[in-house]
Amino acid sequence: MNVIASIGIGPFDTAWLAAALILTTPILLAAIGELISERAGVLNVGLEGFMLAGAFFSYLITWKAHSLPLGVLAGVAGGVVFAVVMGLLTIEAKADQIVSGVGINLAAIGLTSYLFDEIFGNEAQIVVPTIGQLKIPGLASIPDFGPALFNHDWVLYMAFLLVPASWFLLYRTKWGLAVRASGELPAGADTAGISVRRVRWAGVLTAGALAGLGGVNLAIVQVGIFHQQMTAGRGFLALVAVIFGRWKPLGVLGACLALGGADALQLRLADQNQVPTQVWGVVAGIAAALAIYYVVRARQARPRWVAITLSAMVALTGVVLAFASPHVDLPDQLWRSLPFLLALVVLGGAVTRAHMPSKLTLPYTRGDG
Amino acid sequence: MIDSMRGRLRSGGLDFVLSVVVAIVALLVALIFVIAAGVSFTSGASAFVDGAFGTQLNIAGTLAKMVPLTLVALGWIVVFKAGRFHVGFPGQILIGGLLVSVVALKIDLPAGLHLPLVLIAGIVGGALYADIAAWLWARRGVNEILSTLLLNLVAVQILAWWVRGPFHDHSSPLPLTPPLPNTSRWPELLKNTDLHWDIVLVPLAAIVIAFLLSRTLAGFRMRLVGSGERVARQAGVSPRATGAGAIILSGGLAGLAGASLVVAGTTPQMGEDFGANYGFTGIAVALLARNSPLAAVPAALLFAALEQGGQTMEGTVGISSSLVDFIQGLMIVLVLAATTILYIARRRAAGSRTPRVPAPAAPERQLEPSP
Repeated sequence: MNVIASIGIGPFDTAWLAAALILTTPILLAAIGELISERAGVLNVGLEGFMLAGAFFSYLITWKAHSLPLGVLAGVAGGVVFAVVMGLLTIEAKADQIVSGVGINLAAIGLTSYLFDEIFGNEAQIVVPTIGQLKIPGLASIPDFGPALFNHDWVLYMAFLLVPASWFLLYRTKWGLAVRASGELPAGADTAGISVRRVRWAGVLTAGALAGLGGVNLAIVQVGIFHQQMTAGRGFLALVAVIFGRWKPLGVLGACLALGGADALQLRLADQNQVPTQVWGVVAGIAAALAIYYVVRARQARPRWVAITLSAMVALTGVVLAFASPHVDLPDQLWRSLPFLLALVVLGGAVTRAHMPSKLTLPYTRGDG
Repeated sequence: MIDSMRGRLRSGGLDFVLSVVVAIVALLVALIFVIAAGVSFTSGASAFVDGAFGTQLNIAGTLAKMVPLTLVALGWIVVFKAGRFHVGFPGQILIGGLLVSVVALKIDLPAGLHLPLVLIAGIVGGALYADIAAWLWARRGVNEILSTLLLNLVAVQILAWWVRGPFHDHSSPLPLTPPLPNTSRWPELLKNTDLHWDIVLVPLAAIVIAFLLSRTLAGFRMRLVGSGERVARQAGVSPRATGAGAIILSGGLAGLAGASLVVAGTTPQMGEDFGANYGFTGIAVALLARNSPLAAVPAALLFAALEQGGQTMEGTVGISSSLVDFIQGLMIVLVLAATTILYIARRRAAGSRTPRVPAPAAPERQLEPSP
């Protein structure tokens, strides 16, 4: 990252931008798969487990077979295997989706930790080769922003290309219509000759494959190592991103970028012993935008005084702090929990009820209506 | 979810058989892993049994682990009966422990008063942390599974800061609090072992929760809401208030588990990872117990034996104790699969007499609170 000449304001420079894109990728991959699965009516709480399996098996096979393509395949397959368990439990046996997901997470954490201990336990950390950067000719030579945006690996490009692809798939194809129908009105879809069972299977397997690829991205794209529970909550962040993105591809992209950006920011701030002034400025800006949003919205809906007052107060505090620039050293742990806190605030603030697929988590049995 | 008493008695036997079969299958899978790692069947099995029950020390370790497992399992059962699911136990354990450390270190009291106050602090800590999830669910419509998963990750960071910052023991380079005074700790039941008097919480809490759920108005309300929100509303019971109350109560139970882990632990100091995996393992315990508070006690014994046996096996035959985590996840998956297979079989059997049983296998549960 030092190679990139940084321009920007304080911690928000091109190096941050590049890191934000890199950290967005695994969340985005998992979130796009989860988006399709949830639109079909299946909620995968086990997304974290799918990702972890993807990370471990890609690392294992890359090391064993000395082959990156095989490693990628193994990672995707690892995610898919756990997704098959999920599908068997929730679609075939109609077990509760959330409890199934909790079980799958535990099983994936346990299995990957156990195998890692057994296979690599006695050795020093083995670093496997990683998937290299793919400079996009022309675009990458744009000064400053070129290297930050167009000098990444193919998995990252693929993740971002999946956003328009999934939009096209969901809204412009027959298959997408079938997916949306299975989540909204499975009985209707059934009447129209769509196999809800098959569509939901496709959704769950897509979630498994893409979350697996997200794990691949963590293990053999970013670092070339694996450690126990290395996904560190990214699967859960992907679940949040789908909700915050209101079950729409573009919204999911925005949510993932916000979470990835926060993650990149915490990495930069954790080792600084003073909060940079610009951070207060950004806090003030976001809070002010929120306050304005609530005020503007108050013309149509009931004004939300609590929200308006709170965001205005945060904005003011941010402005004061930006100018006063006090020497505050907030604990690293606060920065580390920044993406999670952001996700919680987002969940609490987002009005999402109207956008959720109405039959999400409800099993469909033919004839039950 | 709620069978009539007679129906429960009839299905109770079958539930028991099902849980035993699941436990045996999971243990067999564990054995396959052990054999695949190059340990012979006999030495693997004897190392496990020895590790869990072989010596007085190991038995004490197994029994001590039952306490947090039972309490968390009861916490799950309470929310489950009220039709909610949350998985915030790991975080609630940690925050419960955090509040325990405050009361234990900052307040000076004689033994008879200090310990009860410490336990109350644990309960309050867990309940307060669960309160965030309850509020987010009831007022903001946030799925309690997602919020608690995130709150768990935040709690880990809070604890990491706690034992390095405000409550760090400056005489030690390790992230630990100063030793908690003996007045705040559970007395030992067996000298020089992990077994403390907090073991009495196991039968006590199980009986209290069983009584609460089956014999009190609050318990009835929870079960009513859990069996269907529409029916509950028509009966004048608020699904929101009841659901939120159940989440907070279960947080209190998890906080009490956290208190036990801190003031009945091996070391007198509090570190950052005392919660270990108890928060999630407790869920597996409850599922194996088929969400019955009293059955949670033997199920907790099984899981405690697995944990203790797994830990000692790591030392004796060199099998990583993470295998136990996998087996726990596997048990959840197997219980779910077995339950629904059983349900389908029952439905087929019933189908010959009545035309169709319309109830779905999973309860019609609403993700978002209804107004």
